[in-house]
Amino acid sequence: MRNTLRRAFLAVGTVSFTCMLAFAADAAGDAPVNFQRQVRPILSDNCFLCHGPDQGTRMADLRLDIRTGAFATRKDGVVIVPGKPEESLLIKRVFAEKAAMRMPPAFSHKTLTQEQKDILRRWVAQGAPWKDHWAFVAPVRPALPDVKDTKWSRNPIDRFILAKLEANGLAPAPEASRRTLIRRVTLDLIGLPPTPAEVEAFVKDTSPDAYEKVVDRLLSSPHYGEQRAHYWLDAARYADTQGLHIDNYREMWPYRDWVINAFNKNLPFDKFTIYQLAGDLLPNATLDQKIASGFQRCNVTTNEGGSIPAEVDAMYAKDRADTMGTTWLGLTVGCATCHDHKFDPISQKDYYSLTSFFRNTTQYALDGNVSDTPPVVVVPRSEDRKSWDELTARRHELLNTLSGIGTGQSNAAFEKWLQSSSRKRAAKFPLASSQLLAVNLEKDAALVRRGHQKGLTLPAAVTLGEGPSGLGKALVFSKETEVSLANVPEIDTDKPFTIAMWVWLPRDDQGLVFARQKDSKKEGDSSKDWGWTIGVERYNTEPQVPTIHLNGADGKSLTARPSADYALKAKKWYHLTFSYDGSRNRKGLAIYIDGSLVPSYGDGSDFPPLESSIRATSPVILGTKDKEGFDQGAIADFRILNRRVDELDAKQLYEADALQVAAKQKVPDLTATGRQALLTYYTAQVDSAGKKAASELHKVDAQRMEIALRGSTTFVQQERTDTQPMAHVLYRGLYDQMREEVHPNVPSVLPPMPASVPKNRLGLAEWLVEPSNPLTSRVTVNRYWQQVFGTGIVKTAGDFGSQGEPPSNAELLDWLAVEFRESGWDMKHMFRLLVTSAAYRQSAESTPLKLERDLDNRLISRGPRFRMDAEMVRDYALASSGLLAPKLGGPSVKPYQPPHIWDAVAMDNSNTRFYKADTGDKLYRRSLYTFWKRSAPPPSMDIFNAPSREVCVVSRERTNTPLQALVTMNDPQFVEAARVLAQKALLSSQSDLNGEVNYLANHLMARDLDGKEKDIVGRSYQDFLAYYQSAPQDAEKLISVGETKADPSVPAPRLAALTMVANELLNLDEVLAK
Amino acid sequence: MKLTDQALLTETRRQFFGRGARGLGSLALFSLLNESASAATAGKPAFGGLPGLPHFAPKAKRAIYLHMLGAPPQMELFDYKPGMEKWFDKDLPESIRKGQRLTTMTAGQTRFPIAPSVFKFKQYGQNGTWISDLLPYTAKMVDDMAIIRTMHTDAINHEPAVTFLQTGFMIAGKPCIGSWISYGLGSMNQSLPTFVVMNATHSNPKANVQAISARLWSSGFLSGQYSGVALRSGGDPVLYIGNPEGVPTKVRRRMLDALGEMNEIQAKQIADPETQVRISQYEMAFRMQTSVPDLTDISKEPESTFKLYGEDARKGGTFANCCLMARRMMERDVRFVQVYHRGWDVHGLLPEVLPSQCKDVDQGSYALVQDLKARGLLDDTLVIWGGEFGRTIYSQGKLTPTDYGRDHHPRCFSIWMAGGGIKGGVVHGETDEFSYNVVKDPVHVRDFQATILNRFGIDDARFTFKFQGLDQKLTGTEKKAIVVKDILA
Repeated sequence: MRNTLRRAFLAVGTVSFTCMLAFAADAAGDAPVNFQRQVRPILSDNCFLCHGPDQGTRMADLRLDIRTGAFATRKDGVVIVPGKPEESLLIKRVFAEKAAMRMPPAFSHKTLTQEQKDILRRWVAQGAPWKDHWAFVAPVRPALPDVKDTKWSRNPIDRFILAKLEANGLAPAPEASRRTLIRRVTLDLIGLPPTPAEVEAFVKDTSPDAYEKVVDRLLSSPHYGEQRAHYWLDAARYADTQGLHIDNYREMWPYRDWVINAFNKNLPFDKFTIYQLAGDLLPNATLDQKIASGFQRCNVTTNEGGSIPAEVDAMYAKDRADTMGTTWLGLTVGCATCHDHKFDPISQKDYYSLTSFFRNTTQYALDGNVSDTPPVVVVPRSEDRKSWDELTARRHELLNTLSGIGTGQSNAAFEKWLQSSSRKRAAKFPLASSQLLAVNLEKDAALVRRGHQKGLTLPAAVTLGEGPSGLGKALVFSKETEVSLANVPEIDTDKPFTIAMWVWLPRDDQGLVFARQKDSKKEGDSSKDWGWTIGVERYNTEPQVPTIHLNGADGKSLTARPSADYALKAKKWYHLTFSYDGSRNRKGLAIYIDGSLVPSYGDGSDFPPLESSIRATSPVILGTKDKEGFDQGAIADFRILNRRVDELDAKQLYEADALQVAAKQKVPDLTATGRQALLTYYTAQVDSAGKKAASELHKVDAQRMEIALRGSTTFVQQERTDTQPMAHVLYRGLYDQMREEVHPNVPSVLPPMPASVPKNRLGLAEWLVEPSNPLTSRVTVNRYWQQVFGTGIVKTAGDFGSQGEPPSNAELLDWLAVEFRESGWDMKHMFRLLVTSAAYRQSAESTPLKLERDLDNRLISRGPRFRMDAEMVRDYALASSGLLAPKLGGPSVKPYQPPHIWDAVAMDNSNTRFYKADTGDKLYRRSLYTFWKRSAPPPSMDIFNAPSREVCVVSRERTNTPLQALVTMNDPQFVEAARVLAQKALLSSQSDLNGEVNYLANHLMARDLDGKEKDIVGRSYQDFLAYYQSAPQDAEKLISVGETKADPSVPAPRLAALTMVANELLNLDEVLAK
Repeated sequence: MKLTDQALLTETRRQFFGRGARGLGSLALFSLLNESASAATAGKPAFGGLPGLPHFAPKAKRAIYLHMLGAPPQMELFDYKPGMEKWFDKDLPESIRKGQRLTTMTAGQTRFPIAPSVFKFKQYGQNGTWISDLLPYTAKMVDDMAIIRTMHTDAINHEPAVTFLQTGFMIAGKPCIGSWISYGLGSMNQSLPTFVVMNATHSNPKANVQAISARLWSSGFLSGQYSGVALRSGGDPVLYIGNPEGVPTKVRRRMLDALGEMNEIQAKQIADPETQVRISQYEMAFRMQTSVPDLTDISKEPESTFKLYGEDARKGGTFANCCLMARRMMERDVRFVQVYHRGWDVHGLLPEVLPSQCKDVDQGSYALVQDLKARGLLDDTLVIWGGEFGRTIYSQGKLTPTDYGRDHHPRCFSIWMAGGGIKGGVVHGETDEFSYNVVKDPVHVRDFQATILNRFGIDDARFTFKFQGLDQKLTGTEKKAIVVKDILA
């Protein structure tokens, strides 16, 4: 048997162990060959590269991946003649004597073994039964198989498992001990060890449903969501930094908390899917649904100098399509980036159709190196959520009220006012009472109103030109000219203000300043200036965008700018309004273009608020004396107000010129613009309901801002409304090699999108959870299986395609998949099923027979036992010592980390260049809250195979390396945990070594040590003690590791010795394995 | 034979025979088998590695890759273009640029004024190879080096370019060269990591620094055990290698003895092969705790060492120190050492910054090659020096006779290799008079990668790992890589 086995290993490479057993058995006789499990993998692995779905590399016009190709008649014969291997070209070529004729050819570096050839021949001889690839056929609930042992099964899972075991001549292992069981199930469901009290309670509970009660308790624990989330966040590639280049902080944790809560609330998986792929597209999307759409914003982004936005956009869309493909479809769709998929029937066109779902986003390619790259949403603190929602709803109502004035029933009143003489009052600037300064230019005279300077002398090089409205004039600059306005000292950090103007830019490829007020500590060194600056900035070849900087005297600054989507074009008038609310926070800055608010971002939000003053006593300068200056540029209607403005105000600023003209015109002469300006004025200043609403809106906005400043932001997805999703096929995946235009659609090999769903992300999400979808349910339950049993029923959890491994128990997978869907996508139900099965409850002990026939435990001939994940290893130490801070959610934290992990790799100007560990509780939070810098992940997590969170990962690797031993032996986190636990043991056991050691064992292993173990541990304790008594200074050093302090009442040598014992036990295979 | 041993052997063979070493941690497993298949041909005991590898007799057993991150300007160092002086401030002819894509940093420039190098060149060695005055030490060893002047790449920005050079792919997720080699050939020692990475400091605060990240020494889809292990100059040289304060070696040893005994009990009870693996990994960790401090302790190096490498070599983290460490690791049969030196991204202030960058690395690079040679290690140790792409002949930003910068340039750049089966005194390939396009013997990144593998006795086309259903290769699946035969000894 062993020899046969070994040959099989040699032969088949990646094919599963179960499968090999089948080979071994088949080799002896004429047992029916299983096409799905035995034949298709051979064809796929060896033939599809040249005779598969990719038409670009297909040879001899032959396809072996589809039935019509495999049974085709060709000029030299028939590829496969069922029942007649000797007449089948396939068999002839595979067995060809001459190397030149033999398939696969030498250049492919593939060879078929004798066994593989025999399988093909026998399959053809048996009639060559052909089936479509199993994973593309929707699962149907299979009947429960018959089993000999009718007593063992506890639920349907067990029938499928037992049937396989019996077929392989194996019997299940006995049920694990209660101690093992509660430890295992607690770790699987909440990722933490059970407390000794929980263990004892379960051991003593004699009720028949004692175990089920434990399971229910764990499923309702808030830690359940944390444990589930850490797997999901791997798929979502969640992290706390951008990932590329400067790798700055990204505020994204509200998404992580949403995931945890979704699991805890047991959000049905169909909704879980829809919210994350398209929460933003749901009608009246809630804040939570929008936060969920952050799934798509977790990808790595860049702002690297020189990046080409079109290339970066293509990269993001690819990442999103690949992530969706891996996570829900279990398909390597990304293989079709450069060419048709080599193995699965996914054409390049199919692939780019998938990417098109994700390309119609308002997100701009370059992330701006900020923590809140739009689109983002404000996430109020939980205690503010209610008022935030109320205020938001109220704001909506007020805006409706405002936009309703002058229309419908209230139209008559407006018309009446239009006819009245009081309309003339509108000629006066409506926000005049807030005005600090205005530059109005009429006819040939420059006039400054309400400023501190009445007249204005223009330098000769500044002329008056045509203004935007034809009414007022504009200042037209030439090289090296500027206009100086008297001091406006009211502008300061703690005061709200607004600056508005019309600008006309001569070029669209320059960055320039066109208004500023700055004091300088040192002439010529602008880094020491303070004040404010308004201009346009451009990033490399990016278009120019309006920007405001507030610079404090201490060198800190606030900046706001919109993305390049809001770039200003040359030779066109724009009205710009920059508003600041005096909050010292970047979020208090707002930019309006032509009266409309534009989403803006910029530096400052990651730093403490701007503390110092920006107040400058110098004049306000328009234009610039730089060499090129604002040559041929123009500014008109420049105003400074002493308050922040809202949308209605900004609109009035924008329409001020038009209003002046319209106020004096006769009704029949009014232009549409003039009429609109009058309506805005009427709404804001005349109509009583309007005035009331406007004033309330102002207050509501102020209250919302207070909440926003207390709260957080998180990245969301947002669909563009001005374009429809589309993409181009990119030749060889190159962003600038655009070919055919494609539109959102799903791969043709899968069921089509129903006509009822929209062709956008929402439709895609709904299609994923349609009952006809053959993959989503299977792929998802397979990962649940993997979490609990270590390996998926399909081992290649991210590849259910042709090259993926066939399921080790196809019927079980299908049963679970159907059960999941029919349960209403009830995730907790599935976990309850898994952990209450008899299969799960087996002891992990192995036998020689099991090691021979089921080495990897793919048949589940014993209970699952494998090394815990990175997070679990650390959380285990924290929890068992009692150090764990059980708080849920919130911003990520920075526990101990060796020095120079970040700054050894970071860019000088990265805001995650230096790692500063937190203190107090934040050192002891669960590991999924550890701050994740992508270019330098937390080393202890990395060493234990946590994925880097750069790309979607759906199954973790589990290696065993010496570096891991070094972590659990020497990382201060583990040393401190050992000491804290040892101290508790000493304080609880009153100088009884036996009691102390058992205290440790019960906290770490959920059991007492047996006699032999006690002896081993006890002897090591005595040796440690002897050492530390002889070297008390070393004892002091050891017990000083970590931020918590050792209890001075405990003798240092004893504590040190027992700390080493705890360290010893913490490193046991039994402890590190679940 | 004990039951678990038997199972282990079965498992180990299984890993040998096809499924890759991905499932279980295998380093220790292999050590149970003494020498692996690759050992016999390599002439060195090796642990791990794939059966059938190397494919043919290797010339190199170890390698040191000195990466100048940020991309050194080839026309200032190795690709002498004396004709450029008369082109000062003239526009690069359109016939040369051919409208190719530029980074967005210079794509907006209205002019592309040529900036001749301000640095002088002289001829060295038997071939009279032109080398810049900036590299006086390197110049002395041109007869040991093969200079490739015609490297070219597909990427135009640092992150993708260095990822491409290291992994054959511009997006993260694939294994780097060091990981591939560790996976294929295994380890030659049992107390140090197989693949070590160092990040050298640079001296000029004005140098424009590019980010590096763990992805550059990641094992991608290969098992995590093939990732590069960082050797650090501050704190623990290998993360967590030091025992906590107050835990001397004998206490750690005692703890490990008890731990081992306890684990043996568990191994008998549960019969999980992983337990045995864990036991041996703890022993390996303990050996590392001894051998790493021994590696990094340079107090016993004679004065002559610091004469050769320079006084900088005494200071942890400098490039010269990294070179010395690299030599010490070669002596201890570490398979692959990667050194990154940053600050080469000379978009501006080139005449000011480049000399200090060169000074940082020149003597150390020279000393390393000479030291290896003197110790008889150069014959089977490959040394590589270079950046991730080249730089433009035209100036980025303002051009004056004394100041200019250069943008990224993927179409040609220079690297050199020495030792490990590389012919000395060779200059390979030619670029046009603007150091802009390759005119003779282009070497694509994948050709370069294939050449490295070739020196290790590996045929890149046959060195694959199945991932996502594909036979993945370092050199990618798109085009065939061509080994640069002209530089092979």
